[in-house]
Amino acid sequence: MKNVGKWIQTIHVWWGQYTAYRLNFFLQVIGPALVFFFVKFSLWTEIYHNMGPDSTIGGFTLNAMLQYHGWALIIAMLTQGHVNFDLSNDIRLGKISTYLIYPFDFWEYHTAGFLAFQTLEWPIAFLTGSILLFFSIIHLPALLPFLGILVLAVFLSFLWFTLQYLAGLVAFWLEETWILRVLFTIVATFLSGAIVPLDLFPKWFSSLLLYTPFPYMLYYPVKVAMGFVTLESKVFFIVAAWTLVFAIINRQVWRRGLRLYTGAGM
Amino acid sequence: MQNIIESHHLTKTFRSYEKNPGLWGAIRSLWYRPYKENHAVDDFNLQVKPGEMLALLGPNGAGKTTIMKMWTGIIVPSKGQVQVIGHDPWKRDKQFRKKIALVMGQKSQLWWDIPALDSFLLLQKYYEISDYDFKQRLEMLSSLLQVQDKLKIHVRKLSLGERMKLELLASFLHSPEIIFLDEPTIGLDLVAQENIRNFLLDYHKLHQCTIVVTSHYMADVEALCKRLVLIIGGTKHFDGPIEQFTQILGKNKIVTFNFSSPMQQSSSLWQDFEPSWNELRTQVALRVPMDQIKAVTVNILNNFPVSEFSTEKLPIERVMKKILENPSLTGPKGPMSL
Repeated sequence: MKNVGKWIQTIHVWWGQYTAYRLNFFLQVIGPALVFFFVKFSLWTEIYHNMGPDSTIGGFTLNAMLQYHGWALIIAMLTQGHVNFDLSNDIRLGKISTYLIYPFDFWEYHTAGFLAFQTLEWPIAFLTGSILLFFSIIHLPALLPFLGILVLAVFLSFLWFTLQYLAGLVAFWLEETWILRVLFTIVATFLSGAIVPLDLFPKWFSSLLLYTPFPYMLYYPVKVAMGFVTLESKVFFIVAAWTLVFAIINRQVWRRGLRLYTGAGM
Repeated sequence: MQNIIESHHLTKTFRSYEKNPGLWGAIRSLWYRPYKENHAVDDFNLQVKPGEMLALLGPNGAGKTTIMKMWTGIIVPSKGQVQVIGHDPWKRDKQFRKKIALVMGQKSQLWWDIPALDSFLLLQKYYEISDYDFKQRLEMLSSLLQVQDKLKIHVRKLSLGERMKLELLASFLHSPEIIFLDEPTIGLDLVAQENIRNFLLDYHKLHQCTIVVTSHYMADVEALCKRLVLIIGGTKHFDGPIEQFTQILGKNKIVTFNFSSPMQQSSSLWQDFEPSWNELRTQVALRVPMDQIKAVTVNILNNFPVSEFSTEKLPIERVMKKILENPSLTGPKGPMSL
């Protein structure tokens, strides 16, 4: 019970920090939707227009392609809004010294930060989804798959968090991790199908991808939302297993990293 | 009584590489990195008893902060044993962390974007302080530090002095058994420095906790600590009471006399005491052995037109300056006799 209190209070503090700068927060809220409309919407519309009416790409009509990207936006907001968080600075500039002193662990502090972010981001994702629905860019699936997608999104957000955490921990060894994290995000975004649907990849490549967590991170829930695939329970296990794997790796990496830590400038 | 800090042969080695300046140096450093091992702390031994107020002194880069980091569990020693309150600090048990506090003058521990009170409420949860205790301690500490009206202001809007007081408040909320203060008065004005010193003295009187301080201000050390540990190049060069430290360069005291008119003649009265005159020859500072101070002073007062005389306020500062200028005056085994 005492522990729950610690988590709740930490989440309160994170809320205070996220909303401290109003303009920044506002841009973070509407940014992704604006990027969607100005970049993806106009880009794909233009591509299809040049190809002539009724043309398809990899089996996707223009409407299907827009719906794919509309859902991809929503899933991304539900699962990876937190990816910009930067753990490496805490390590590089010696800020973690403070958390090493408090009887609340560094990972607990940042996990609470992640949860705090999700509680702010989910309502925004729902709002964005409603706008896309209003413009008929996406269509609502049946209730059960819809709820299933939301639960899967919770699982996936934890997977993204553990991955992002790992990328930050590399700062124990590399003094600057920005390029590494950007590279990682681009590769993960591409392989999860956020840029083009995985249907457009060569067959051998997309079947190879099934042995990685990437297709489940975006492509799969989008296909479920569009009603092309039915949600299978094994996917939850696959995502949970990958999350566990990365959580264990994080734990080991943290322990080894801490032995190297010098607490720069204290 | 059992010691609260035990360190035996404590050693910390860091590895760093040298890089030549400029673009060529940067490019060359991509494949050529001559690594250098640096013993930040070397074979350091120290015992501290509960309730002591101890000062760690030394020039920049002497290893004071590194020792503090090992005592608080922030970094792992390369060699040697260390025990603080019966724990191995580097294992960082939550029980251990609840008993210690660290205040860093150069780094803020409060959350920048929220009022201090929110941070305190968070720390209340972290340290599992009951509502009753929390309220009492907050009242007691904020009145000792005179910050009652600053608790609800965003930390980033506070002045350095105000923020430092709140940092101290945050670190004392859970009544730690041992408190590490790394340059707690750095960058503060004289009044703020004194306020913080007085707070530490009052708090120590009330709670009898162990306090370890590093500072470059000798006034801090003189006011707070009875025991002083001098560290140079990662090794211990002196460990003992402050009075003893002020005498390691000889048992002399500096006595200054001001005269109402310039003193042209030389006198055997001061010739033996290394006199140092001001330009107008109206002021002289003498190095007088302790046991002769009374006789010499009375003699000069009787024979010359003295308008004012004083003995030095901070002998520790003079000694420290001498040692910093010439570290070989003290050796790792203690002060060398002069």
